[in-house]
Amino acid sequence: MTYEELLKQIEDRLGPMSERIFNRNRKRIYVDIPPEHSLKANRFVFEELKGRMTTATGRDTPGRIEVLYHYCFDKLSLVVTLRTWTEKPDCILDSVATIFPGALFIEREIQDILGVKFHNHPDPRRLILADDWPEGVYPLRRDFQTRKERNETPEFLRELTSEVTTP
Amino acid sequence: MKKTVIPIGPFHPIQEEPEFFQLTVEGEHVVDVDVRISYNHRGIERLCQDLTYDQIPFLLARICGICSASHPMAFCQAGEDLCGVEVPLRGQHLRTLICELERIHSHLLWVGLAGHFIGYNTVFMWAWRYREPVLDALEATIGNRNNYENFCIGGCRRDIPQEKLPDLIKIMDEIQGPIEMLTKAVLDDPVLKVRLGGVGILTEEDARRWCVTGPTARGSNLDIDVRHDEPYASYDLLNWQVHYQSTGDVMAKAVVRLLETLESIKIIRQCIEQIEPGEIRAEVREMPEGEGVGHAEAPRGETFHYVCSDGTNYPIRYKVRAPTYVNLPSFKSSVVGQELADAMLTVAAMDPCYSCTERVLVVRKRLGNKKEMLDQKTLLKMSWDKTERIRRSV
Repeated sequence: MTYEELLKQIEDRLGPMSERIFNRNRKRIYVDIPPEHSLKANRFVFEELKGRMTTATGRDTPGRIEVLYHYCFDKLSLVVTLRTWTEKPDCILDSVATIFPGALFIEREIQDILGVKFHNHPDPRRLILADDWPEGVYPLRRDFQTRKERNETPEFLRELTSEVTTP
Repeated sequence: MKKTVIPIGPFHPIQEEPEFFQLTVEGEHVVDVDVRISYNHRGIERLCQDLTYDQIPFLLARICGICSASHPMAFCQAGEDLCGVEVPLRGQHLRTLICELERIHSHLLWVGLAGHFIGYNTVFMWAWRYREPVLDALEATIGNRNNYENFCIGGCRRDIPQEKLPDLIKIMDEIQGPIEMLTKAVLDDPVLKVRLGGVGILTEEDARRWCVTGPTARGSNLDIDVRHDEPYASYDLLNWQVHYQSTGDVMAKAVVRLLETLESIKIIRQCIEQIEPGEIRAEVREMPEGEGVGHAEAPRGETFHYVCSDGTNYPIRYKVRAPTYVNLPSFKSSVVGQELADAMLTVAAMDPCYSCTERVLVVRKRLGNKKEMLDQKTLLKMSWDKTERIRRSV
């Protein structure tokens, strides 16, 4: 498939379901897909266009949480990014890992750090957060505060300092 | 037959990163595997949001001690994609030089370790003996054996003096002969052919479904290499080729890495021939609002970086994807059906930044859930014994 053919396929097939197709330059294309079409669009890019998914990026913006699926077309030196989003506070998206297992890890990661629930994910366990991390606290959300920002002393330090202050 | 569950990891890593594998075995054959990662999460993506674009490469160099040129390289690509700056020619050549020296030392490190895992300690000593001059070359030119810290958006921070370049050629002359011999020895060895051939096969279809990259993909007949497909630095000016194999086993991955090492030497020679005095860094005035994507071919595969800027000096979102992150889950496809003695070798063939088989807990259900501890020595011995059996029969 040549570059022009691929562009035409993207415009013909993804165009009707997307809100915007943005050619940043020759090598980078961004397609904004509403959440209800996200699964269909990803299936099309992976199975029919034979894109190789490199990774997905989760991003917390003031109104919504965006998930960007990056696909590489190696022989055309092109990266196509499908951007989908989900409204807070529910944050539910269809899982792309149902199409191919390469998306298993990254969706679990986004679930951990941003709290996006992936519908039908085959293995929705925690991936990068510790088992004793509190439920409902997502470290990459904009409203997340570190212990330093909350002026909170960790428990093990509190014990140490209390020992020091009492003679 | 009853199933046995064998957890491997996550503590006491012999290399650097802790990872956890739970192998379910029937007799000697692996039937299922569960991989857990992130026991040592460092929060680098979040830390990047508090650093300026000039400070970030220094942090990224510390993602991995071995790929410490590739991660900053991918970051610079992303930054240059965002602000649209062109790197001067000498800067591009310097980037190629450092990336290729890094690739040689990383691949030799892997060849040595793989040799050690299957009981070929001569290969281990040879490979690491000739890795040393490459590290010396890096120290002489950049100042560090690892963590080179030479890349920034727009070019390179420090120049390599023109009179140092012939020394690099001398080092390439020194290592080329032995590496060619090592490659020939590995390709012709009848024991290795039996020991590594057909072990840990990752089919082309599976490689695509798991989205693997680098030598793991090229061993499975996927002809992908970012250096060739989307040339960065000065790779498009040089004459070299991508090596790939069709069998998908451990042998294929070893052959790909060895041939790539020789190809890297070829690239470095051409680079030194072509390099001319000149500017090494283009000035970057400001980072515009928008998004940038950059990827580079690290020794282990493609590193992928995404940066989102709001026009200030700090990124508002930074995303790093290291190659092992996509290669490691494919272990599930390549190890099922293998013997337990080959499991470690199959992991090692992916060259993950890992080998944490220091302690192994074996639960043998046949003996009423009796638990026993296996250590690194026992696992290595299992692998070595198999090599010895093959060696006797060949």
